[in-house]
Formats: sequence, C-alpha cells, structure tokens
Amino acid sequence: MRLILLALVVLAFPTFANSNTESIAEEEMSAKAWLESMSQALQTKQYKSSIIQLQADHIRPLVYLHGTVNNKEVAFLEYLNGPPKNAVRVADTVTFIEHDQPAYSINAPRIQGIWPTIFATDVSSLEQGYQFVLGGRSRIAGRPGQMIRIIPVDDNRFMSQVWIDMDTRLPLRYDMVNQDKQLIEQMMVIELLELNEPAKILIEAEKQGLPPVMNPAERIKGQNWEFSWLPAGFHMVVKDHHRLIGSDESVEYIALSDGLVNISVYVARMGDSPMPDELITRNGLSMVVEQVGNVEVVAVGKVPAETLNRIAKSLILK
Amino acid sequence: MLKSGQEWVSSAVDGEVDAKTLAELAADENSHKQWQNYHMIGDAMRGELPQTIDLDLTANIAAAIELEPAIMAPQTETVSTHDKVESTVAPEVKKDNVVPFFKQFGQYAIAATVAMVAIVGVQNYGQEQNADSPLPVLNTRPLVGTASPVSLQTGAVQNQSSVSNDNVVEQRRRINSYIQDHMLQQRLNSGVVVQHNDGIDKNVNN
Repeated sequence: MRLILLALVVLAFPTFANSNTESIAEEEMSAKAWLESMSQALQTKQYKSSIIQLQADHIRPLVYLHGTVNNKEVAFLEYLNGPPKNAVRVADTVTFIEHDQPAYSINAPRIQGIWPTIFATDVSSLEQGYQFVLGGRSRIAGRPGQMIRIIPVDDNRFMSQVWIDMDTRLPLRYDMVNQDKQLIEQMMVIELLELNEPAKILIEAEKQGLPPVMNPAERIKGQNWEFSWLPAGFHMVVKDHHRLIGSDESVEYIALSDGLVNISVYVARMGDSPMPDELITRNGLSMVVEQVGNVEVVAVGKVPAETLNRIAKSLILK
Repeated sequence: MLKSGQEWVSSAVDGEVDAKTLAELAADENSHKQWQNYHMIGDAMRGELPQTIDLDLTANIAAAIELEPAIMAPQTETVSTHDKVESTVAPEVKKDNVVPFFKQFGQYAIAATVAMVAIVGVQNYGQEQNADSPLPVLNTRPLVGTASPVSLQTGAVQNQSSVSNDNVVEQRRRINSYIQDHMLQQRLNSGVVVQHNDGIDKNVNN
C-alpha cells in the first residue's frame, strides 16, 4: 500500500511541478529584479510610448520614442500640447529644441522629465534610501502591469510606485505620493508599441548634426560647504557659485540627490523684502528659507518641507 | 398649496409638466429645495449617487462666486455718481484683487509666482545676457513641466499681508528665480551625477 502511495506521489509531483515552473519564475521575481529588468528594457528595447503626465490639475500629453541606431541609443521626446518643445538624445548627448531659443545640447544619460533617470541607470543605488516592495497587479494601457513600491526608509521623502509591463518590462505608470497618500505627480502610458526597427525620426536624428555640448567647466568653484546631517542616501552632486537665472543675484549653490529626488540649496545675501519661511506647491515642490545673520539659506526640492528645514539648518562652512 | 406644490415639483422632476408650469415653479423659491430633494431621491433609487453628497451645491457655488476675485475695470466718474452701491463695494474688491494669494505666515501655495515665471523670465533674459553670468541663458521651464501655477484655481485666499505691493512683487520675483534655477540645475546636473559622485561623496563622509 505504501509503495503504491509513494509511486503515486512520485508520478504526480513532476507533472504538478512542470505545470507551474513558468509562472513560478515570474511569481518569485523580487521587486528589485523587476526594477532591474525594467532598467534593462528601457535601455535596449525599441519602443514608442504615448504618455500623459499629471501634476496638480495639469495634464500634459507627450510621446517618447526610443531605439538603437548605429549601435547608439537614440531617444526622442515630444511635448504635444502648446508651443513645440522637443528633446533628442543620441548616446550621452541631450539636445533641447524649443521654440523660443536656439537649440542647445548638454551631457546627460537620459532625457530628464519622463521616467526618473535612475530607472534606466543603476536602480540598486536607490537602496540606500528606499526599500523595494512587490505590490499587486493591474491593467494599464491594455497591458498587465506589476506594481513595485519604492518606499523611503525614513519620513524625509515621498513614496513612489511604478507599474512595469509584464511583457516588455517597460514602465507603464509612475506615481509619487505624499505621506497622506495624495498624488503629487503621475506619468501614465496610454499606448505602448514595441518596434522591431528604430522609428524613422530616430534615424534622422542620429544623422543630423546636433549643436555641440555646452561646456559645463565654466562653473566657478564654490565655498567648501558641508552638511552635519543629510537623510540616508543623499549626497552632494555639485557645488558652485553662480548667478540665479532671471536675476543677477549671485549665490552659493549645492545640489543634493538621493538618485530619485534632487534638492537645491542656495546661500545668498538677504534680499530687501522678507522671504516666506516656507512654501509648498501643489505639485510637491517645497521651498524653505532659513535666515542666518544677513544671509539666507534657501532649500528647494520635492521632499517634505521639514526635511528641507533640517537640511538648511545643518549647513556648515568648513 | 403645500401638498399640491409638492406634487408639481414631483411631476416636474419627472418631466411631466409643460413649460408654463415649469416657469411658475421656477419662480416659486420654496419649491427649489423640494426640487433638489426629489432629484436626489431619484438618483439614489437609480443608484447614481456620487461617493460624497454635496447637499447644497447651489449655496456652495454662490459662496464660491462671492469669493472669486472680480476683475474690475477702472470706474468712470459717471458710474460712481450714478450707482452708489457699486462705488462703495469697488474699493474693497480692488484691494483683494491686488494680492489675493498670499498669506503672511506658514504654508501657502506659490500662487501666481510660477505663473509669473514666464513673464519675469522673459523680461530678464535681455539683462541676463549683459550681465556676465557663468551659466548660459536657458529656458528653465522644463521640457515636461515641473512647476504649475498653483493657486489660480484654488479660490480666493484672503490677503492678510501688510507687506507693501513692491515687496510682494519683489518677493515673488525672488521665489521665481530660485525655483527656476532649481529646475535648470536639474537639467544641467543630470550628466554630472555619474562623473563627480564619488569624489564629493568622500568629502561628505570626512
């Protein structure tokens, strides 16, 4: 009797196992593995996505094309409403083509303003400040999407969620929400097409001579600023001395980043008119002004105002 | 009248009265509440109620309209002499109209500041080229927007500020330049992150 039972088990098990291996591979993918395969897909796939961006009560439609031409990554972003605004990326050069000024190029790994740059680069570097958690599945742009939560390890920044297409592994939706779970901004794909060959416009873009990259070496070195405290994962990206755009006020500038969020810290002489201590826009951008003697420290970024406050207070000059 | 009035309203809601009766009904203010209730009952029976029921929509709208900053054209003298009511109301409304978005303390939305970005930005591009700025003159409004005009739609916020107009304009201009600069830097720095990351990181840790 026992033998028969054993035989049954032996016979039954492989069939059971076989039928499930495929789904298990997908089921067991960790949140990080999903993000990494998204990163890979963003760099290698050829695709066209139509996206809408929601911010407060603004909706912006855009189209993003990506492909490989002559072994170079080429991408094109077009902003569909209002005055024409485009950006083209060929390998590491991003050129902005806008109606009201001559086109210019900068050095950048991605076109800023669509998916966070980090999504297509080194996702694992986010782990210092965030945890990746596997969420549920839902259908977006007619495709099944796996949701991954990017949860901050502290209260110093906002939470993000990304939905990844289970077929192409490209992002379908990206939400940033505040502590009260209110939406700060959202990017949502409404149509995603995977292409077998690069789109015509990308081939054209690769052929076109784009304006040369502006030389960023003109930056004037700033003072040796340091921070006695920064949220986990944040580090200084740039320190310099420049004039604020749109005014001739000169400022000491420090850029901070944790990969997903960028914070700017300015040190300037106090203006004639008092600045508000704290400002919050409905799209999550906060600004905090800390006065030290006749100098004001201004911090701007998409994080809670308390974080900016703490950062501004912990600035020290070595 | 009461009972029959209710029946009127009821049949009007169901679309069973002629235009004349409807006009009479519209004139009868007492029935308005009834009208609303019947529609609500109808909606509930059809399962069409929204998630949150705003019970007195009309009152809310009226209140919102009252709070809306009015766009006042400069009044001619003839108007002020002829219409006393107008002239007494006008100065107050005008005052609100100047800076309806700012509160003195605490958190408040950036109001028209970002909407002003365009104007301030454009005005200053000319100057900027003369001043010798280390950064090239760029359009900082991001390709896919980052900031949006915030409180233009949020309704009127009472102006509790005692700051003079010049100061408010100056303040907005400065807030704008900081926010604009922040956006521009994000564009310029995106390429830097990879290159200088390590060196500066060490600095932080020291």
